[in-house]
Amino acid sequence: MNIYLLQVINGIGIGMLYFLLAVGLSIVFGLLRFVNFAHGAFYLIGAYFCYQMTRWGMSFWLALVVVPLVVGAIGWATEKLVLRHVYATDHEFHILVTVGLALAVQELVILQWGPLGDSVAVPDALQGVVMWGSFIYPKYRLFVIGFTAVLAVLLWWVLEGTRLGSAVRAGSESTEMVSLLGINVLRIFSLVFGLGAATAALAGVLASPIRGAEPFMGIEALAVAFVVVVVGGMGSFSGALLGGLMIGIVQSVMSTLWPEGARLMIYVAMAAVLLLRPHGLLGRKE
Amino acid sequence: MKKYTHFLFAAVVVAAMPLLMQSGSLASEVLIFALAAMGCNLLLGFTGLLSFGQGIFFGLGSYTVALMLTRWPVPMPLALLLATVVGALGAAVVGWVAIRQRGTYFVMLTLAFAQMFYFVAYTATGLTGGDNGLMDIPRPNLSIFGTDLWTLASPWQFYGFVSVLFLVVFWLLLKVSRSTFGRTLLAVRDNEERAAAIGYNLRLLKLQAFVISGAVTGLAGALHAMMTGLAPLSNAEYHTSEMILVMTVIGGTGNLFASLLGSAFYLLLADWLSQLWPRWLLLLGIALMAVSLWMQRGLWGLGETIWNRLQGQRKPLADPLVPPAAVVATKGEQV
Repeated sequence: MNIYLLQVINGIGIGMLYFLLAVGLSIVFGLLRFVNFAHGAFYLIGAYFCYQMTRWGMSFWLALVVVPLVVGAIGWATEKLVLRHVYATDHEFHILVTVGLALAVQELVILQWGPLGDSVAVPDALQGVVMWGSFIYPKYRLFVIGFTAVLAVLLWWVLEGTRLGSAVRAGSESTEMVSLLGINVLRIFSLVFGLGAATAALAGVLASPIRGAEPFMGIEALAVAFVVVVVGGMGSFSGALLGGLMIGIVQSVMSTLWPEGARLMIYVAMAAVLLLRPHGLLGRKE
Repeated sequence: MKKYTHFLFAAVVVAAMPLLMQSGSLASEVLIFALAAMGCNLLLGFTGLLSFGQGIFFGLGSYTVALMLTRWPVPMPLALLLATVVGALGAAVVGWVAIRQRGTYFVMLTLAFAQMFYFVAYTATGLTGGDNGLMDIPRPNLSIFGTDLWTLASPWQFYGFVSVLFLVVFWLLLKVSRSTFGRTLLAVRDNEERAAAIGYNLRLLKLQAFVISGAVTGLAGALHAMMTGLAPLSNAEYHTSEMILVMTVIGGTGNLFASLLGSAFYLLLADWLSQLWPRWLLLLGIALMAVSLWMQRGLWGLGETIWNRLQGQRKPLADPLVPPAAVVATKGEQV
């Protein structure tokens, strides 16, 4: 089988995870108007909670459901208890408070699980590979692609087809207007922040059997999510999808062509997109 | 006289450290990171630009001086000057791209560039030594035509050299911040739309602030490499950018002396706590959250408040570089 085809499919899998990471960041930004530097931290604890649950002998599938709910609740509470109190201050402090939170979470993770990472087993049902003629591919990675595609549709439906979604989209245009219409904006802020945390955690759970869990994956994921959002265009759902896939495929294909430089190339790709389209592929001009 | 109070404060701290501290290296480190924090402060506190890319310039400075001193027979002052220039050039490039975006987008870009630089440094092993970094950087004496003017061999001798540079840069930045240019940056920070409407070239102003910041940070990186004899990859890591930013914020933004406070607070606390508890960064993360929530003007603001209470004054001292609390509060309303 063609190595490049294989790498493109790998790239789609990675790209879908990047999409999942970036979309939460993007929605939270759209509504709350600040970058959540703790987004990577939610991804990190997602992966570690999954690791811990599977270590306790619970099934991966249970973790896939429970972890996003738990982390989503943590995110919801974080917005209520911490973030809400900085909205009245200068813009920088919204970001800095999440930087502090990310640092604290990372250190807590090291405190609990140690500085070295560990691997997470692929669930039994998805061990091994599928074979269709000459096409051989790990089952788990195919599952990731399918599962995230379903999630993408679901998220799209939540944003486009539900009352919450329309409040979120309207709130991204003008928070004042939405609250004047009698909607409790603060409640939506915490819900959306919780949703963002849950998607990040879900990405962490899905990524953990592929890349394991280690304490510094949070900041790494955060930087990649930034790249995806910058490439795709801020606040754009389809931009996050396109950007995620593009960055995933670039990284994956480059790891065959130039293994040491694969990580570098995603940033080069970002710089190239920025020079050609300063607002991202599908972004709107402010 | 009031004009020079902050410079006087800085000079007192510089003079006091040898009397109060055991380690000359730690004292030098405080001043070196104070330089870096001042560079960051010029952006955050004076221009309103939150940059996560300060590690780039710090790393550039340390790599430049390491290459100059190990591979080419460049005199030490020239190597430092070159590191400063390279830091400024790096800032010009990063700034040129990042400044085209505003607000949050800008913040994300600086972090993305910091990661990009990290991977460049990691990949370009010929120049940077990759994962190992550059080692055995000499610390030549300051000499003219072969005559040694200043021996830098011992930590305290090096501290003397660093402190002179620090005070010179502090003085220059103080001048910059109080010049028409500095005042214009404050206008940009407080109300970008208005500054643009008056006719200021925002991009140029921001780029200039970026270049000055990069130069100072590059110098700090170079001095750090000379102090430790190493230019490690970690100097270019996210962690370095974050550390510089944390020092700046904890010290207090919009005030240059506060950056020295922030640097001293961070490094002395790190020195003390890291022996007691390796996970002390947890406390730092919480401290950063606390500063963002309740103490936005940092240690300096705290000190000022206490001073005012002691004086029995109600109103804060009219320092034009620090916005009154009311302005900060109303600005947030738009968000």
